[in-house]
Amino acid sequence: MPVADASRGKRAIERVGCASCHTIPGIGWPKGEAGPPLHGMAERALIAGRLANRPGILARFVRDAPALVPGTTMPAMPLSEEESRDVAAFLYESGK
Amino acid sequence: MNSETGFDPELLNRFPTSEERPKGEVEELNRIWAAPSGWARLTVVNNNYIGIFYTGTAFLFFLLAGALALVMRTQLALPLNGILPQETYNQFFTMHGTMMMFLFAVPMMEAIGILLLPQMLAARDLPFPRLSAYAFWAYFVGGLSFFASLFFGLAPNGGWFMYPPLTSITYSPGINADFWLLGIGFIEISAIAGAIEILVGVLKTRAPGMTLARMPIFAWAMLVFAGMIIIAFPAVILGTLLLEFERALNWPFFDAARGGDPLLWQHLFWFFGHPEVYIIFLPAAGLLSMMVSTFARTELVGYHLIVLAILATAFISFGVWAHHMFTTGMPDLSISFFSAASMAVSVPAGIQVFAWIATFATGRPRYNTPTLFLLGALITFVMGGLTGVMVALVPFDWQVHDSHFIVAHLHYVLIGGAVFPMFAAFYYWMGMTSSRALSERLGTWVFWLMFAGMHITFLPMHLTGLMGMPRRVYTYLPESDWMATNLISTIGAFTLGAGILLFLVDLARNFRFTVEDDAGNVYGGGTLEWLPTGLYSTRSIPVVRSRSPLWDDPNICEDVEKGRYLLPNAPTGHRETIITSPLRAEPQYLQIMPGPSPWPLLAALFTAGFFVLLTIQAYTPAVISGVLTIPCVLRWLWETDRPVAVRTADVGAGIRLPTYVTGPSTHGWWATIILLIVVFMIFLMTVFSWFFLYGIHPRLWSAPDNLLSLVPVLGGYGAAAGLLFLGRHLLARTKSTHWSPATQILLAAIALVAAFGIDLWSWRESALDPELSAQAALTFAFLSQQGLLVAITAIMALYLALRNARAMITRPRNTTFDVVFLFMLYTAGQGSVTAVLTRLAPAGFPA
Amino acid sequence: MLDGWPPPILDPAGPDAWAIATLAWVLLAMAALVLGVVLAAMWLALSGRPELRARLGGTKAIWIGGVAFPVVVLSLLLVYGLSLTRTQSAPLRGDEMRARVTGEMWWWRVAYLDQQRRPVLHDANELHIPVGRPVVLELESGDVIHSFWVPRLAGKLDMIPGRRNIIRIQADQPGVFGGQCAEYCGGPHALMGFVVVAHPQQRFDQLMRSRLARAAAASATPQAAQGARLFQSSGCAACHRIAGTPANGLAGPDLTFVGSRRTLGAGILPNNRGTMMGWIANSQAIKPENRMPPYTLLPGEDISALAEYLEAQR
Repeated sequence: MPVADASRGKRAIERVGCASCHTIPGIGWPKGEAGPPLHGMAERALIAGRLANRPGILARFVRDAPALVPGTTMPAMPLSEEESRDVAAFLYESGK
Repeated sequence: MNSETGFDPELLNRFPTSEERPKGEVEELNRIWAAPSGWARLTVVNNNYIGIFYTGTAFLFFLLAGALALVMRTQLALPLNGILPQETYNQFFTMHGTMMMFLFAVPMMEAIGILLLPQMLAARDLPFPRLSAYAFWAYFVGGLSFFASLFFGLAPNGGWFMYPPLTSITYSPGINADFWLLGIGFIEISAIAGAIEILVGVLKTRAPGMTLARMPIFAWAMLVFAGMIIIAFPAVILGTLLLEFERALNWPFFDAARGGDPLLWQHLFWFFGHPEVYIIFLPAAGLLSMMVSTFARTELVGYHLIVLAILATAFISFGVWAHHMFTTGMPDLSISFFSAASMAVSVPAGIQVFAWIATFATGRPRYNTPTLFLLGALITFVMGGLTGVMVALVPFDWQVHDSHFIVAHLHYVLIGGAVFPMFAAFYYWMGMTSSRALSERLGTWVFWLMFAGMHITFLPMHLTGLMGMPRRVYTYLPESDWMATNLISTIGAFTLGAGILLFLVDLARNFRFTVEDDAGNVYGGGTLEWLPTGLYSTRSIPVVRSRSPLWDDPNICEDVEKGRYLLPNAPTGHRETIITSPLRAEPQYLQIMPGPSPWPLLAALFTAGFFVLLTIQAYTPAVISGVLTIPCVLRWLWETDRPVAVRTADVGAGIRLPTYVTGPSTHGWWATIILLIVVFMIFLMTVFSWFFLYGIHPRLWSAPDNLLSLVPVLGGYGAAAGLLFLGRHLLARTKSTHWSPATQILLAAIALVAAFGIDLWSWRESALDPELSAQAALTFAFLSQQGLLVAITAIMALYLALRNARAMITRPRNTTFDVVFLFMLYTAGQGSVTAVLTRLAPAGFPA
Repeated sequence: MLDGWPPPILDPAGPDAWAIATLAWVLLAMAALVLGVVLAAMWLALSGRPELRARLGGTKAIWIGGVAFPVVVLSLLLVYGLSLTRTQSAPLRGDEMRARVTGEMWWWRVAYLDQQRRPVLHDANELHIPVGRPVVLELESGDVIHSFWVPRLAGKLDMIPGRRNIIRIQADQPGVFGGQCAEYCGGPHALMGFVVVAHPQQRFDQLMRSRLARAAAASATPQAAQGARLFQSSGCAACHRIAGTPANGLAGPDLTFVGSRRTLGAGILPNNRGTMMGWIANSQAIKPENRMPPYTLLPGEDISALAEYLEAQR
């Protein structure tokens, strides 16, 4: 399994447009306001208020949130498994 | 046969004289020309001071606009960068372009002209020192208020060419656009004031014997520069006026739905905007020609060709404006014409480039900081010219127009064609105004940082453009592949900035302003500005016998300093200079010049107040400020046009010149004619707009219903003209009563007011509503211009009457009288044409 | 290799763009040649051998280098340029496929026209064309001046209020060709993108047939009924039109086929559920000053339902 790469994660975030809902540190534009801002991801205890904040879980969550948290407004995103790990890595790194 | 004016040129062979000058003359000159000190220093009008204030202010705006560019480059360094929000970025690029063009480039060239020309022509000062002071202060106050709009988020954001309808009240409801329209409109007035000064100065105050063919190239360039301002600026003045009318009064000049057309603005703007580029380039090229000659240590090769090239550039530049509009869907035929003309304009540029190369090949080149800058300018400008030829080819322009390729092209042209020459000039002429020259060691660093920075910034930018990046975008998406070249450009921009910062260090260490004990001719130039000077300019005004008098006559400096040439003293006890004839520079008369005065400063403050207050919609204070301008201007004029007790004065070697002259040989007459050309050009551009809009929407135009009112209107203007001629006739007749000439002028003013009043009334009664159709809006635009002219003539007539009451109107002729006469006669003429055109034109057209 | 090489202008995908790319190479070569000549002349003038310098130092050099040389080069270029201008604006045959693209602040209104030049299909921010056939575009503006530019297909042409400009584009290979507004139009001018999608003729005909059928039929997406109701009740329908539904607003982009679009927000965002939701909830945070108000008060489930409904509009 290749190591997750934050810079690839940034490109994936830009490609699928995560920032159209979330203000994400390290992403200049857009700074979406529909979902919560993603500052300080590395320090948070929980994801979406109920999941343990671990890289594997965050990666699954960004890829298919409804599968982990039924009823969440966060939709599934068109990311590959590898990309979702990269995205998680970027969120931890930029949100220190 | 050999004389233009009847002056015997042989008389000039008496110079240099050999007898000792009496003692005390230099002290007398120093006393007369002394500048006030302390706070009163603000009232100086002498070109040594105004020139340096002017240059310094223009340079300040260069730095400020450059700082904006650095912030923008930081924003563009990376895709989706968040340094500048969209709205701020839009204000930044608008301000950067506007300031560089209107607050830096043109004023800087005028400033350098005001600083250098009197010295180069060996005049004591330019002919209208108080006008220079007014132009400077108006620019200073107006420019700073304009810049300050950025701090309030009120800066214009429509791009420096302000295309409507984006800038119309519908799409730009804030006062941001008004800041541009009123601010720039105001600075244009200042530019025109400076241009009149320079035109008359070059034509009428050259040292005796400096025929047109012996003028330094820079004087030629400034002559053409000022002439181009006179022709080109009226177009943008009219454009700003119409757009402000549209915004404030809802008159639809550019609104397609009501018979206007957005392209009218583009035509008016670029008829000014393209010549503007050459307005900036020609003086810089003139500076280059002067410096090339000095650094090659030989006469300029191809002097006549260069003069021809300057004239050809000016001529062709008025036929290329529509190449900014190749993508608007113009017909093929006009596209082909403008494409050909745009390519042709590069031929005169090629002539100048090869003339400089040929001069270097002839002489013995020297290498120093200014040489580096001028070689750098040459290479950079040639590259900008080549991309210019590329975009002159229409299909290529269709691709790169409004892309970063154009941004790169225009910066190559303007930095190579104006900024590098300016820095070369700073180093070269610093010895004229500073007691220390700038550092050669630092200068080399300044050059290489700036040169490298410039090319690192703008060379890759061509590629960014070819990659499809449009200009004026505050960000770009990562998938666009524009990051690498943008990042390089940003690094280059900071390198360029570092060079300029280093120049500031050099200035701080070495620039010490002085008028008297300057560092002098550090580089060994051959033209008159390197004569020893004091506050009064040169001790005596030399007779010019060649293009490089200092090289050809080794004694000239000493002879001038010892007072062996013309006007070694102040025979009337006032500030004075010699007015010469425009072609052969034969002495005509001694002009008495006005001294320091607070009134031009106050007039400028109130004029600026008027425009700034108008912009922030404080209408009552604006009107008060505007009205207060009038007495200030009149008060400043009051002391001018004053005959002195001495009717003729000995200017040396027994040559006597009159101290008061009237008619077409006077500097006042020339300035009035030039001002009237400006007014006429504004009118002509309105006529163009009239036919242009009619051509677009002929069906929307209707024949007016007030034909009959033509009779009283024309009658009134005719009566005014008749009264004017009668007044002039009576003035020449010594038997007429003291009051009669002035009475005729007052009556003529009343006739003008009446004729205009009837014209206005008949249009207000007619069915045409200026808010509903462009035809009516243009009619009222004509009337507004006429109203302004009539109001000015009324003030002039009262001023003349006041001077008459104080017995200041000389007979048989008087310059103030002539000025008023010309202005009123012109007003009657324009009023008549206005009345006829607005009533007859649409009906007379084929349907 | 540098990202983005070859640049789109030098990587043409249609005949007009190809002719301009050729011209661009010729011009670049010309510029390099002339610059070389000038630099060589400068070098000779400054430090050449004395006899060479002497030859350069006279008015004859100015006549040759500054007059004769540019006149010859420029005349040749002018003839080339003008003939190219003529072929590029060659008269239209009249039977080309036609579409009308209207620039709006800050998006593109697209209407496909029939042979009588009547609009038959409405869309936004995306234009589908067949490969290998010239397509005529009527360019108009709904507000201020914009400029239509898809570099790989053709040069740009302005969209000016009160005028209709005609441009011909053609793609000789299938693909997606990006473009962007080239005339500064205020606010988010930087975020006013566009895509042209070229399909092989057969695929294109299929697409048009299905779209015409979809435009004529009533909407049938029962699973998104909640979204359809919200689309009406939340005010979306006041500005947006969806064919076959009561939503008939004309101020904003037509959303009949929004689900199949490649981008959102006029060529700036990928089109997926997430970006659609983000756009609906607060497009001002994404594209400041655009004409769509933020819907921050709408609950998340509603936005989700709306996005689901819009995704189904294809």
